[in-house]
Amino acid sequence: MAQYLPIVIMLVLGGVFAAGSFIGSGLLAPKRPHRAKLAPYECGIVPRSEPPERFPVRFFLVAMIFIIFDIEIIFLYPFAAAAGELGTFGVIEVAGFALVVFIAFAYLVANGALSWGPSRKQSYRVVEERLASKVPTGVRGE
Amino acid sequence: MIFANVLSQLPIALPAISYKAVAPELVLFGGALLILLVSATVGKRELPGLYRAIALVAALAEGGFSGYQLYLAQGAKASLAVAGAIAYDGFSAFAGIVVAAILLLAILIGPGFIKRIAGDGPEFLVLMLISAMGATVMAQGEDLIVIFIGLEILSIALYVMVGYRIGDGLAREAAFKYFILGGFSSAIFLYGIALVYGATGTTNLAKIGAFLALNVLTHDGVLLFGLALLLLGFGFKVSAVPFHLWSPDVYQGAPTSVTGYMAAMAKVGAFAALIRVFDIAFAGQIVQWRPIVVGLAILSMVFGALFALRQRELKKILAYSSINHAGFILLGVYAGTAAAISNTLFYLIAYAVIVVGTFGLVSIVQDSIGVSEGSCSLDQLRGLARSRPALATVTAIMVLAQAGAPFTTGFLAKFSIIVSVVEIREYWVAVVAMLSAAIAVAFYLRIVLAMFRGEPEEVEGERVLAIQGAATEAPARRQALAWIGVSLSLVFTVGFGIFPQPLLDLAARAHIVG
Amino acid sequence: MGYLDWLIAVPAVGALVVPFIPVSEERRSLIRGFGLAISLVELVLAAVVGVQFNSHASGYQFVTDVHWIQSFGVSWFLGADGITLVLILLTALLFVIAMFAMKGVKDFRAYVGWMLLLEAACMGSFTSLDLFAFFVFFELTLIPSYFLIADFGMGASGKAAVKFFVYTFAGSALLLVGIVSLVFIHDSETHRLTFSLPALMDTHLSGTTQLLLFLAFTAAFAVKTPIFPFHTWSPDAYRAAPIPAVVMLAGVMAKLGSYGIIRFDLELFPSTARSLAWLMLTLAVIGILYGAVVAAGERDLGRLVAYSSLSHMGFIVLGIFAFSTEGMSGSILQMVNHGIYTAALFLLLGMIYERRGTLDMAKLGGLQKRAPIFAAVFMLVVMASVGLPGLNGFIGEFLILVGTFITHRWWAVVAVAGVVASAVYMLWAYQRVFHRSQADASPFGEIKLKEALLVAPLLALIVLLGLYPAPLLARIDPTASAVVQHVLAAKGPVSDGASLPAVVKGVK
Repeated sequence: MAQYLPIVIMLVLGGVFAAGSFIGSGLLAPKRPHRAKLAPYECGIVPRSEPPERFPVRFFLVAMIFIIFDIEIIFLYPFAAAAGELGTFGVIEVAGFALVVFIAFAYLVANGALSWGPSRKQSYRVVEERLASKVPTGVRGE
Repeated sequence: MIFANVLSQLPIALPAISYKAVAPELVLFGGALLILLVSATVGKRELPGLYRAIALVAALAEGGFSGYQLYLAQGAKASLAVAGAIAYDGFSAFAGIVVAAILLLAILIGPGFIKRIAGDGPEFLVLMLISAMGATVMAQGEDLIVIFIGLEILSIALYVMVGYRIGDGLAREAAFKYFILGGFSSAIFLYGIALVYGATGTTNLAKIGAFLALNVLTHDGVLLFGLALLLLGFGFKVSAVPFHLWSPDVYQGAPTSVTGYMAAMAKVGAFAALIRVFDIAFAGQIVQWRPIVVGLAILSMVFGALFALRQRELKKILAYSSINHAGFILLGVYAGTAAAISNTLFYLIAYAVIVVGTFGLVSIVQDSIGVSEGSCSLDQLRGLARSRPALATVTAIMVLAQAGAPFTTGFLAKFSIIVSVVEIREYWVAVVAMLSAAIAVAFYLRIVLAMFRGEPEEVEGERVLAIQGAATEAPARRQALAWIGVSLSLVFTVGFGIFPQPLLDLAARAHIVG
Repeated sequence: MGYLDWLIAVPAVGALVVPFIPVSEERRSLIRGFGLAISLVELVLAAVVGVQFNSHASGYQFVTDVHWIQSFGVSWFLGADGITLVLILLTALLFVIAMFAMKGVKDFRAYVGWMLLLEAACMGSFTSLDLFAFFVFFELTLIPSYFLIADFGMGASGKAAVKFFVYTFAGSALLLVGIVSLVFIHDSETHRLTFSLPALMDTHLSGTTQLLLFLAFTAAFAVKTPIFPFHTWSPDAYRAAPIPAVVMLAGVMAKLGSYGIIRFDLELFPSTARSLAWLMLTLAVIGILYGAVVAAGERDLGRLVAYSSLSHMGFIVLGIFAFSTEGMSGSILQMVNHGIYTAALFLLLGMIYERRGTLDMAKLGGLQKRAPIFAAVFMLVVMASVGLPGLNGFIGEFLILVGTFITHRWWAVVAVAGVVASAVYMLWAYQRVFHRSQADASPFGEIKLKEALLVAPLLALIVLLGLYPAPLLARIDPTASAVVQHVLAAKGPVSDGASLPAVVKGVK
């Protein structure tokens, strides 16, 4: 069981840190609540309607792109920590991984995943129009 | 342990990555990335010709690499690579060839029809290549974790492909069902891996085999439970009864070209992994898992055939037919001898080519009568033999090949499985299998009958209009490539049905390492 | 390539070519001409085989043996003996007639294609001496016949076709398992994986194994023949199928079953065949009587002939399992004769159906006054089928009864009742259709020249073989007596090792 000791220690430390942060901020932070602050989605934009409403799927898209980069970071950190030992082999592998993520990102950008303005890429609108008009495309003919 | 190593500052043991061993995966994934990159940089999203060319080259290169591996594997070159996590043997090479064959046909058949649903974007081919990569990973995986990763790569791409007709209610239901149940089965599979790890202390198949050969477990409950869960996960992927409930709906709701591709690719990946895990790593436990596998096989064969009799929807019938086929392939796993494994591979390639071809023909039929890639009732096929005799004839041949008509690979595949089962002297299983095939014939014939009976004028006016409309629309150009794919699968099915020796020789070379 | 290869290859290639003949719809009779030409070539080939056949030898002649699928030990192994020879001749002849009898067919291309494929498959089944090849051809016969029944038939032919296919396929399912089991038992004994019949004849089988294998093989053949109680598909199929397809079904494909029994059951499992002879004889006799009784009660002429066919196939099985040379020769001869007069009978039924649109005897009547020549022809065929001496139905039936009487007296005695019953119901039917007062006042055309030419060769054979069967019998006899010798000479099965008495002793 001794080999699990570091994990247990990490678990305990993590728990202590999380609990400590909550307790610390609760005790130490100044409290000046107002309407905007109490509302959900506390990211600076005042919500104009009740939360359980539909909102653009774009949010999820961004969140998922974010997660992909998050995962890349997760892999890059340990690589950076042991870059010397891993040597050329490590560089090749991580470069390959980064390349994959980069190409995927390029694809996303090209398809307008990050463009928030009103004018969207042509292709997206076509697909969305097709989805909106629930007519099966086959019937209309090409 | 690795974690402990890092903490104690021990030197890291670098795995030697044999890029030759993972060449099939690299080629497929590289093709997918290249398509994405082209679509991102050229500035024009829809370049169907180029995408298709890249995908075809990737598929052919993957097939070429696998063929070369198979050639090498005949010598003593079969080995494990990448820290023993990847097997590099005749078996995986043959599976790679099957994957290449499926890809080749699906690339020729599919995109033309998908275009009508979702345009000419790069996504479809990319997903196809990635899921194919998942299947090759599963076939090469020598470690349960690697197999699981392959399974997920395969499945996630397939979830998306199934949901391509998102505007349609049936398709949404299909995609949702497949995703939820698929995720559920993956979780169970993972739990099975965990239990096996708990019992044997490793997830590496070679090490598991060695461990179980040397040690006798006093309490093997954990191991057996893990095995059962693994089998459940595989059973879901190959849609064996009683884990088949998703498949009729998914087959119906998915775009037809995806259905054919999925039916073939998911089975190849899952069965390749199933054989490696059960027939090799857990060969010592054969007494324990054999009754379960044969139970699944018989249930699949019998109920697959019986349920199909009551269906009137073409794609659902074909779904039950694929359940019936899964039962047959499971019998090959059940037999488990070296000859049985190569016979199973023969069945897999025969089945894969037939099923992609059959669904390709369904696509063409649907296209010709002017319905989209969704569901297709038997009534819609009425009078096809009068209006499109060539199409009806080829479809009839492929459907009969699925039924096991002589002089097709479908017959030889069933025959080789029967041979395997008789070889281990389980005569009653062979009898049940053949009787189920006899029941299955009835519904295959119903499909054929629907096409060859009934005049077009018997049908209500609306559909006659649809036929005429489609005929004036000149779908010939759209269908040209699909016809090439279908013809290839027909030539394969009938050609190797008459002279199967080369293919059988190839399958006989597919030894498994270890 | 030997003659037998050509016998299979010619129609097979023809069938492949038919879909691609570039002929417009108006000139589709060219396709019919093509089909006729191929089937005539086939008949000539069969005749050449018949002439070159050495009628004094009992072994296989015209043998071809090349490897086909080494992995499974399958070879392309063809050969012909007396039984094969007469069946080849019958097949080639009936296909020519079926090609001529194409009236009412809309889609010539499909019809000719399926017919040629069926001919190739039948020839393959009769000449294959490799069990795998035999099975493949045996199965292949199903597909074209299915399409011929379903696609060109009348009434509920789709259902009848599916029933036919599923019944026969279920039978062959057991056959396949039986074949593979036998091959692997042989393999474990000799370490030689082979499907060839002569090699497998040397397999040593224990009693139980031999019994099970015999039953598995017989199931397939019994369905095809059909033998009571596996006959239920046949009346539906015979009634629903178009006339030329019925000619093939009853004339040729039914013989595949009885041929299979002689060639495989008796050759491979002689001692079980001997010990189960009582069962097969009983089933045959039940079939004879049951077919006769049901036929007597049928109102529909088509079903009547179907049941009479069941009854007559019973005679053939009876002769086979009598295990006397006379019975065996009689059975083989009767296969040919039955093929000839049943084909003629169905062709004539087809002509009636064409004129009146029904085969219901209640709605027919008094046809003799309107078409005396037709009636005479019909009478001749009915007499042949009843077994009138001097016509071809007599000699086979007589030999069978004599042969059976020698070895299994009581079965022969009961079977004779079938002969009498057959005369009763056939003549009764004749009387109802041709004599009685007319139920339908509409005219009934006399037999036309074309139709007469169609049945003329069959009528000629009915008379010729009835008066002078010697050429056929000379070719059949050596093989028939060889088969009977093989069965009678077979020793009892290899003991099970731990047979029951030994176990009982051990317990004591």
